[in-house]
Amino acid sequence: MHPLDSHGIGYRFLLTAAMLLASGPMVVPANGADPDGSGPWADYLRRYCQTCHSGKDAPAGIDFTNALLRGLPASSRETELALRQVKRRQMPPNVAEQPSAAETARFVEHSQAVLDQRAALHPQPGQTASIRRLNRREYQNAIRDMLDLEIPAASWLPADEVVHGFDTAGTGPMTPTLLDRYLTAAQRIARRAVGSAIASPAEETIRVPADITQEGQLDGGPWGTRGGILLRHHFPQNGSYEIQVRLARDRNEQVEGLREPHELLIVLDRSVIARFHIVPPSAGTDHESVDAELRHRIHVDAGPRTLTITFVQKGESLEETLRQPYHSHYNTHRHPRLSPAVFQISITGPFDPQGPGQTPSRLRIFGDGQREHRNDIDSTRERLAPLVRRAYRRPIVESDLQPYLRIARDAGADASFEAGIEAALTALLVSSQFLHRIEQGPRNEAAGTAHPVGDLELASRISFFLWSSIPDDELLRLAEEQQLRDPPTLRAQLARMLRDPRSESLATAFLPQWLQLTNLDSITPDGRLFPDFDHNLRQSMRREAELSFLRIIRDDRSLLELLRPGTIWLNERLARHYGITGVHGDHFRELASPDGVRRGGLLRQAGVLTVTSYATRTSPVLRGKWILENLWGSPPPPPPPLVPALDESPTSSTLSLRDRLSRHRADPACASCHQRIDPPGFSLENFDAVGRWRDREGESWIDARGGMAYVPDIEGVDGLERALLDQPELFLETIAEKLLAYALGRGIEYHDLPSIRRIVRQTREGHDRFSALLIALVDSAPFQMR
Amino acid sequence: MIAVGKHLPRRTILRGAGVAMALPLLDAMISVSPAQARLVSSPVRRLGFVYVPMGCDRSRWTPPGKEQLAELSPILRPLEKVRDAISVLSNMELRNAYPGTHATSNSSFLSAARAKHTESNDYYLSTTVDQIAARQIGQATQLPSLELAMDLMQTVGQCDNGYACVYQNNLSWSSPTTPLPAEAHPRIVFENLFGEGGSADERRRQRQQRASLLDFVQDDLRQLERNLGRDDRTKLDSYLTSIREVERRIQRAESNAAVPVSDGKAQDPERPIGVPASYKEHARLMFDLQLLALHADITRIITFQLARETSWRTYPEVDVSEPHHPLSHHGNDPEKIAKLARINGYHVSLFSEFLEKLRQTPDGNGSLLDHTVYLYGSGMGNPNVHDHQNLPILVAGGAACGFRGGRHIQYAQPTPLANLHLTLLERVGVRLETFADSNGRIDELFEPLNL
Repeated sequence: MHPLDSHGIGYRFLLTAAMLLASGPMVVPANGADPDGSGPWADYLRRYCQTCHSGKDAPAGIDFTNALLRGLPASSRETELALRQVKRRQMPPNVAEQPSAAETARFVEHSQAVLDQRAALHPQPGQTASIRRLNRREYQNAIRDMLDLEIPAASWLPADEVVHGFDTAGTGPMTPTLLDRYLTAAQRIARRAVGSAIASPAEETIRVPADITQEGQLDGGPWGTRGGILLRHHFPQNGSYEIQVRLARDRNEQVEGLREPHELLIVLDRSVIARFHIVPPSAGTDHESVDAELRHRIHVDAGPRTLTITFVQKGESLEETLRQPYHSHYNTHRHPRLSPAVFQISITGPFDPQGPGQTPSRLRIFGDGQREHRNDIDSTRERLAPLVRRAYRRPIVESDLQPYLRIARDAGADASFEAGIEAALTALLVSSQFLHRIEQGPRNEAAGTAHPVGDLELASRISFFLWSSIPDDELLRLAEEQQLRDPPTLRAQLARMLRDPRSESLATAFLPQWLQLTNLDSITPDGRLFPDFDHNLRQSMRREAELSFLRIIRDDRSLLELLRPGTIWLNERLARHYGITGVHGDHFRELASPDGVRRGGLLRQAGVLTVTSYATRTSPVLRGKWILENLWGSPPPPPPPLVPALDESPTSSTLSLRDRLSRHRADPACASCHQRIDPPGFSLENFDAVGRWRDREGESWIDARGGMAYVPDIEGVDGLERALLDQPELFLETIAEKLLAYALGRGIEYHDLPSIRRIVRQTREGHDRFSALLIALVDSAPFQMR
Repeated sequence: MIAVGKHLPRRTILRGAGVAMALPLLDAMISVSPAQARLVSSPVRRLGFVYVPMGCDRSRWTPPGKEQLAELSPILRPLEKVRDAISVLSNMELRNAYPGTHATSNSSFLSAARAKHTESNDYYLSTTVDQIAARQIGQATQLPSLELAMDLMQTVGQCDNGYACVYQNNLSWSSPTTPLPAEAHPRIVFENLFGEGGSADERRRQRQQRASLLDFVQDDLRQLERNLGRDDRTKLDSYLTSIREVERRIQRAESNAAVPVSDGKAQDPERPIGVPASYKEHARLMFDLQLLALHADITRIITFQLARETSWRTYPEVDVSEPHHPLSHHGNDPEKIAKLARINGYHVSLFSEFLEKLRQTPDGNGSLLDHTVYLYGSGMGNPNVHDHQNLPILVAGGAACGFRGGRHIQYAQPTPLANLHLTLLERVGVRLETFADSNGRIDELFEPLNL
């Protein structure tokens, strides 16, 4: 049973001010005003802020003059900006007069109470776009859930635009290229789903990334094998297919790592279907003949299959290098392959096609096939109606079906019933209501009035948020029956949806974007300084982060565990990178952190530490900025134009990075921001640019003294974690903002902040558990309204 | 949007199902952009580059004639049938390729630039001549440029004397930090050019289905718009523009669907499957794809690595069983040099077949060869010493654009290959003062011979 079902977080959908007030920390007069510019709010602003923040040239363009004239509720924007900085001790700057802790607390408490009350009276749900196109992850998942068909959308559709850090905005223009790709994708998907006949054999080619080391066992590969590739492939029809393998070559077109005979296996699902002996050719000949005949033709039934191309493990190979032995092996000159590797697989077919077979998607569309379909409009309607309903994510009416019935009839006239279904399905997949999430306001309502979104729209908001996909039948039915706003029902649905495997997208899509781990794909550390980096490590880094977050979601643990070293997720590659022994194989497992191992928790993960480094060295600036932005909710402003680069000249390279950065901070133009940015970054200096622990850099000991605005002296990563955990609500606010931005596909505005605070209060009451945050977020005005 | 002077309505073409188009291209369907119309002399519309690795045997490459290409050398002899369309340039050099390596032979060939000496991902070259040309004449076509090779190579890291593999793998760079990987798989190239579907019929059916789908999308959008507020309606504007643009693409693909192969007769190409086992068949296929792409006006810029630097390929077709790279370090052994020359001549013969096909393909007021210019050569001179002077270089085609052919242009002093790049760029309409280390132009390519 999921913890969501058992422990009682008081769920309430709070649209009424009275209820909201009950959850606020402080009750203030209903008008909440500070109209005459007196009271703790105005006193504080006047005394500690206005000296600098007034007039046209006010720092950061924030001028409190008008705010003080208009009073607190009218100036929520300025007040929220001030609150954010004051709560995080970023303001007032330390060169100015400092308020006492009590004064600051009073200012924060009073302003928040007034702002929260006002938000409850006049909810401002913000400008969530009314038309959002599915991104390619959502598209792929929608096809999976609608048609039971796996597709590689990332190679069929162009990359999505990232807005405010996330790919969920869906507001970019429909470019010709995009439309073109949608047409192609729709044709392919409908053909695969229906399994229509193919006139001539087709070929698909899959290539293995060049910097993958293939010396170890594949995750999911058979015991006693090593290297190669494991892939899901859709065979379009029953028939015979030819599978051809080409091996990786070095710059001279010689098969790499081929020093002795090897055995190559082709495995379809769980059976070995072919076995090849690969023999080194005689010296001085070219290697064309080595893999020219690595081809095998076999009958395969239509549908998705797992194809594994791998080698028989030969025991420990001796490394033929005088250099330090590396974990990565993919380049003849630096870290040569010890044994041959797979470069490319081609699958050609079907030869002698024998019909569409019984694939999962045909079952979904046509049922169990026991019944003959008559080629008439009733049969067509019966097949199409459920598909259109799922695609449109709402109940459908006859006029929704008409265009598809017409297309099916036109296509089916001189062809078959199935050809008609295929044509209609193709059209459905390019229809605007499938490709877009459209939220229409109630008719005749004055534009700009906040109102709850419809139940069906709410269902889509929830399912795209938690699953990156369309609602399932159960959720859709509850929305149709208008039960989704019944608190226990909704809570039960959220719990059910989190338990569902589809919620993994929170870990695989939300998390990597929040932590900027998506950048790992384009990062290659300097080959000379970090020769031991390969694609295997890159993938492992990302997976570690995903699995540690997934554990928190699935077991409904405290989000603060993200900042606490505890258990670690490891596979062999990552364990070796971390210097941990005894972990074998490519699959990930959870381990208690061994004694003396400084791992577990986001800040100690190699992925985070790598994406915040340069190719050649660590960057306390990048790391500090990353912490402030992603964990602390206080992104520093972008650097001013024409800012000089850090002096990397040879004369200055004798200075330590810390000394060079402190010179840099001596420049007053740089100091105001960098005295906030650099110190948290310094506390991670014990981790090198690929996240390995180090006590020394070259000749000198690592100095990991750092700081945060409110804790001037912290030591190392332990100190940084303690400092962040000391103010849990700031970390939780940041997560809540990131999740809300991801869910709504828009940036967080000042008027969202009362909702964020309410979410955090409820999360704290719910022991910082993920479910508490999720329920509060789904309950918030920005999520419920538009 | 491209300027369209006079054109046929989409449905006229699309619904005329099943009829293979006669060639050459329907003139009425070719769009005339104002930029091109303004040029006085006939500009180069199509530009190709073929790279061969590891230099050559100069003694068997250099033609005997002084100015006129009256007689061909042993290596160039296969070009006899197209001799009048060829200019051989002697004593060209690539100073920026030094210190002499395989990596820089390849990377400087089209850039004439010095490659940053690094094995890591901070590699830096410069934008290559083909990509500068593509910005000028490649924008109106389906593909701005096409990068082809014969070897499916994706090596990463270090490859040659501390140079990153990208220098040796990629001829074409769209910026100093953006190498463009080439494709060697004929089927992938074909689908890139002509779309999916094995037979011409299948592809035609798919195009027709796409045209109907666009009609559906447009109707569907109108339906939706009726239910939307005014603000939301404007968000769908880009949709309508894109529908029209995609219609135009389908229309163009339809008119390009039928292309000649060798005898000028309309014929629909069949999609190739797999990579031919024989080098000769593979190379022919890659050249055929270039012909199809140029003729159908799918692209106007092509680069092709006919073999790679340091290749260990053997050439049993010309009775050379030793691998190319070791053979190229011949140590002045006459027997080895003779074998190297056989490889050089074999590469030339593959190119000459292609030129002959170009010549047999009618285009506009002449042949495709008349309207296309190819540069063929290597970035290495004498492979035995890894030098970058006295490079084997020749220019083919372009009669309709003022290229004379039948010449042997011999420089007394080593002359930058960049001069040739600068000249070609000028002929496609890009006027630059200099290109890399250029110090002049090669006007001899265009002058009539003084007889």
